[in-house]
Amino acid sequence: MRDLRRLLFLALAVVMLSGGSAWAHHSFAMFDLEKEVTLEGVVKEFPWKNPHVWLHILTPDGKGGTTEWGLEMGTTGMLTRTGWKRSMLKEGDKVTVVLNPLKDGAPNGRLVRVTLPNGSVMGPGGAPPPPKS
Amino acid sequence: MKILASLITMLAATAFLLAAEPDLHRGKPDIWGVWLGTGGYPDIDPRYRNTPWPTVEFTAWGAAESKRLTTPETPDECMPYGPHAYMAGGSLFPFEIVKATKGLVLLYEPSPVPRRIYYDGRKHPEDIDPTWLGHSVGRWDGETLIVDTVGTNGRGRPLNGYLSGAINSKTDDTPRLPVSDRLHMVERIRLVGRAEYLEDEITIDDPKTYTRSFTVKHYWQRRPDLEVLEYFCADNRRPEAEGHTGSKP
Repeated sequence: MRDLRRLLFLALAVVMLSGGSAWAHHSFAMFDLEKEVTLEGVVKEFPWKNPHVWLHILTPDGKGGTTEWGLEMGTTGMLTRTGWKRSMLKEGDKVTVVLNPLKDGAPNGRLVRVTLPNGSVMGPGGAPPPPKS
Repeated sequence: MKILASLITMLAATAFLLAAEPDLHRGKPDIWGVWLGTGGYPDIDPRYRNTPWPTVEFTAWGAAESKRLTTPETPDECMPYGPHAYMAGGSLFPFEIVKATKGLVLLYEPSPVPRRIYYDGRKHPEDIDPTWLGHSVGRWDGETLIVDTVGTNGRGRPLNGYLSGAINSKTDDTPRLPVSDRLHMVERIRLVGRAEYLEDEITIDDPKTYTRSFTVKHYWQRRPDLEVLEYFCADNRRPEAEGHTGSKP
């Protein structure tokens, strides 16, 4: 578990260190990067668009309805280079997400990772793995 | 008859040679293809690690401009980079270097504009119309391409906090490094590390923004396994409050 946490921290660090423009313009300050929230929900939409891809999921609100969460990811190119395909998620798919929530409490966040219906765990997109030496 | 045929052949060959474009790239180092900056790989061989941006001293204008660009309200996420940010050496996006008839073209995935470096012998125009990336002319000095850039419009996106050393800042409130319309950027681009890495020694002289010039070295790794993909930025805009790529409409 500690190793996993270290790995995740490193993955985040790589994203933050990568000097990518898309991550750079606006502050991370709206997200609480110290806080990770885990949610289960179903996919509402997965717009494969730039500057960033977003994953929208519906979660039970405890009152018989649903809450829509918008989760920010990387660019389409970053996702492609870290193993994503647009077809990996479709409307209605059940997913588990881990996110850094907005500090203001609104139901948006930065996606940390998502577990797909087939059980594979995918990241938010970032630098591609280094070349095999 | 034989003599006439030989003469015709010789004339045809001469005409062909005269008509053919000179090959600017013949015998030049193999810098072509897809490259990815090493900035995102902490474990990269230290010889090919980007040198840190120095602690710069801004002019009054530079300080105000840097502060302006650090606020979330400005500038627009989808605007072009300045030439120094184009060559920032980060690992999120590759670029491709392509042979062109008059030099080379750099295609950096997140940029809406290609970067052209002419090395057909031309000089900068006397009266340059300003552009986002400026006017770049190069010349080969042995194995090194020396590139001189002027003519920026001073509105290009700045170097961001992560590349300027804000690696420990989760709020990324460190200074943006802009360049102005008085930028003079000189680069020395060459292959290193058995041609697996590309080095760009970048000297920035911008008296409107900085009190003195400074030099950094950036590195890219050859990545034939990657493609430079399509990136159209203004396709999924969000309100400012919703995320870190939020933009004013």
